[in-house]
Amino acid sequence: MVKQLGFLLNVNRCLGCGACAKACQNKNQLPPLLRWRQVRMVEKLSIDHIQKFYLSTACNHCGNPECLRVCPAGAYAKRRDGIVLHFSEKCTGCKSCVASCPFGAPQINPQTNKATKCQLCYERLDQGMSPSCVQACLTGALELKEVRDIPVNQLLRLTAPVPSLRLTRPSVFYKPPRETKV
Amino acid sequence: MKLHHNICPRNCYDTCSIVSTTSNGVLISVEGNPHHEYTSGKLCSKALDDVKKVYSPQRVRYPMRQRGRYSGFWERITWDEALGLISEKILSLKEQYGTSLPLALNKYSGNFGILHNAMEGLFTGIGATTRAVGSPCWSAGVEAQTLDFGTYFCSDPLDMAQAKLIWLWGVNPVWTAVHQMPIIFDAIDHGAKVVCFDTHFSATAARSHQFIQVRPGTDGLLALGFAKVLLEENLMDPNLSDYTAGCEEFIHYLETKISLSHCSEVTGVPMSTIRELALEYGQTNPACIWAGFGLQRYTNGGQTLRAIDALGAFAGHLGKQGGGVQYAQFETWRFSGEISGDKPSSDKINSMDRNLNINRFSDEALSCTDPPVKMLWISGRNPLSQDGNLQRWKKLINQLDLIVVSDLFHSKSSEAADIFLPVTTHYEHWDVNAGYWHYWVGVNEPAISPVGESRSDLQIAWDVSSQLNHLTPGSCTFPTSGNEKETLLRELGPQMLEILGLENPEDILKGPVRAKFSRTAWENRTFATPTGRYEFFSTQAANAQLPPLPIFVPPLSPSINTPLRLLTPHHHSTINSQAYALDTRKTDFILYLAPELAQLYDLVAGDRAQIRNEFGQLNVIVHPEFGFSTDIVVIFQEQVDANFPLNRLLGTPSTDMGQITLGAPGFALNETFVNLRKL
Repeated sequence: MVKQLGFLLNVNRCLGCGACAKACQNKNQLPPLLRWRQVRMVEKLSIDHIQKFYLSTACNHCGNPECLRVCPAGAYAKRRDGIVLHFSEKCTGCKSCVASCPFGAPQINPQTNKATKCQLCYERLDQGMSPSCVQACLTGALELKEVRDIPVNQLLRLTAPVPSLRLTRPSVFYKPPRETKV
Repeated sequence: MKLHHNICPRNCYDTCSIVSTTSNGVLISVEGNPHHEYTSGKLCSKALDDVKKVYSPQRVRYPMRQRGRYSGFWERITWDEALGLISEKILSLKEQYGTSLPLALNKYSGNFGILHNAMEGLFTGIGATTRAVGSPCWSAGVEAQTLDFGTYFCSDPLDMAQAKLIWLWGVNPVWTAVHQMPIIFDAIDHGAKVVCFDTHFSATAARSHQFIQVRPGTDGLLALGFAKVLLEENLMDPNLSDYTAGCEEFIHYLETKISLSHCSEVTGVPMSTIRELALEYGQTNPACIWAGFGLQRYTNGGQTLRAIDALGAFAGHLGKQGGGVQYAQFETWRFSGEISGDKPSSDKINSMDRNLNINRFSDEALSCTDPPVKMLWISGRNPLSQDGNLQRWKKLINQLDLIVVSDLFHSKSSEAADIFLPVTTHYEHWDVNAGYWHYWVGVNEPAISPVGESRSDLQIAWDVSSQLNHLTPGSCTFPTSGNEKETLLRELGPQMLEILGLENPEDILKGPVRAKFSRTAWENRTFATPTGRYEFFSTQAANAQLPPLPIFVPPLSPSINTPLRLLTPHHHSTINSQAYALDTRKTDFILYLAPELAQLYDLVAGDRAQIRNEFGQLNVIVHPEFGFSTDIVVIFQEQVDANFPLNRLLGTPSTDMGQITLGAPGFALNETFVNLRKL
């Protein structure tokens, strides 16, 4: 692997506005209930502070993708820039990837009964453009980076309540959220 | 593939510049225009839905007639039939009553494009008619700033990036003005502190350093409390006497009438916090306040904004780069007014128009008897979803001979209509748009042909005039045909060209242009008031029977029967009742309230409950959430398919100000009180 592209989310700039998810849906012509990118809210309260922020997440294009490992049809591949691709023509809709991904990235498209997920807009990238979600982000909160260039000491790995994190090495990081004094 | 320039024409701070792409005459994508300094190539998620909206199967594509109001039995008719029915009714009413006053137009902000003033132009051409005047939105604040500064004019929004302290007061830009947020974040990155004042912990509060929960309607007193601290600590601008009027009277008022303990008790903000914030505001330069439209939707709304203006002036933050008190501006709207008949030749002026307050329209229309209102045209509005006093609206509908609605989609208002006229979107007609927050002006060029048989408001106005003149020559002086693009260019008169720094009107066709105003409002501290100074004491206010000083006037209080204040702020998914994401419609209204309040009413999350008052009742699903005070309940204005609209609970309380500047006071919709019970 010569490169590993990944998402960097500055949660202090993320508004939870959903422009990233909408742009992804439009670009990929997804049916209404299918979302490759989703935004969820995280809230933590203390006596005099509130920490409320949004996490915009899609496929994490893991360093060691579990979907690729388990797929019996060989429908997954990892590009030399780290993008994990899914080829629907090879997919049999067996749902192994859906069950194994710790982040719920692959989903079954109800129209095709095959798995589907964020392809990191590789055609746009190949033309020197940024992914639709990054392009749409109003505040610059969502960026695409070469993950080995990120000074990791100031960043948090995108967490999920699963032990397999160390195993898959998701290529997504976020800046620690700020609290609001109340 | 072809690219086209468009501007989002909705009633929004951002007024985004759009680049739309078409292929073989079909709109395939919309993106932000990177050459627009304010919106800089980005669109909000609402505008990102535009392609789906333009081609939505729900969009009405043909003129329709309803067989029986509220029946839903719509039948397709031709434009000739629709225009015939409308014109015959106009002429027969004119003949029956000997005047055109029975014709009423109720139009506002569905599309703020200048060529949409054609509807006003058409009515002016018919004769003296009944009109909805004023604004449901910003009247009190506009008037407050006009009294204080002489007009309402804000700094370029990019100026806020220079601030070291930003107070977001009664405004929720994360939901309603997203493009301001990167500017605020840039200020934060350069060391600025952001404080958010609101009635509840908003999405903007969550992105701020500090949140101050203010009891609804008491913001003016809080501002005066801050001013009192500045006075006590001698932190006022030492040069106030050079550029303000009435400062001594204001100081006297602060000394004799404002006590911090009372201020704290009424506003709910601890005294130590008031002192701390005031010191910070007085000692930080530059410090900027952005006063939103939310805090002036009260019966004391104008006074509230005057108190906030006074605080900004008192601290010496006016006219400074990165400072000031920002609200909105209208200086980039100096179009020639040719289309609307604002500045027509004298024979077209209708001083005999019957002007009704847009916020009390149904009530005032019902009280018109000589002659009564008999025909209503609703354009760019959805009053049966947004206005108060629905029972009076029902009564008015019963007395009308003909109701025409021109819109893109069916709405609460079209349920009551006889005729529906399908209109074009901003991708289908020529228009010119200006912002009321930033300084940019640009055109909408038609990217695609009108969908179905839809027509632009200008085309409809020409067609009605043509039909009227065909039936009775000379019955309407509005043009009967024309060229949209040429009409647009004529709106850019000498004054607008000067403001925009353009040689020829055609130059606007190359792309959006920023007006040549200085980045900082009131930079030279010469104001547009009668005294040329910032007026703490306003003689204009006194003449209008308003308090001459920015004193605190308490808001309305809840009663025993209706102990809770209902707030209905904007939601990020809509602008008023304009529908965007059709796939996210909800079936029930969600009532947000403090967990303690829910407990008091024995309610838990997901419970069904009813809120009611003297105007009606509404069933809701309860959602307790941290960040709401115990004296309010909140329903955000989302797209909900409930049987009854949210506004059935609204009366029509008026704001204290708006009459002088906009012809009618505003809608104090935050002065709505309800009772709550579990179902």
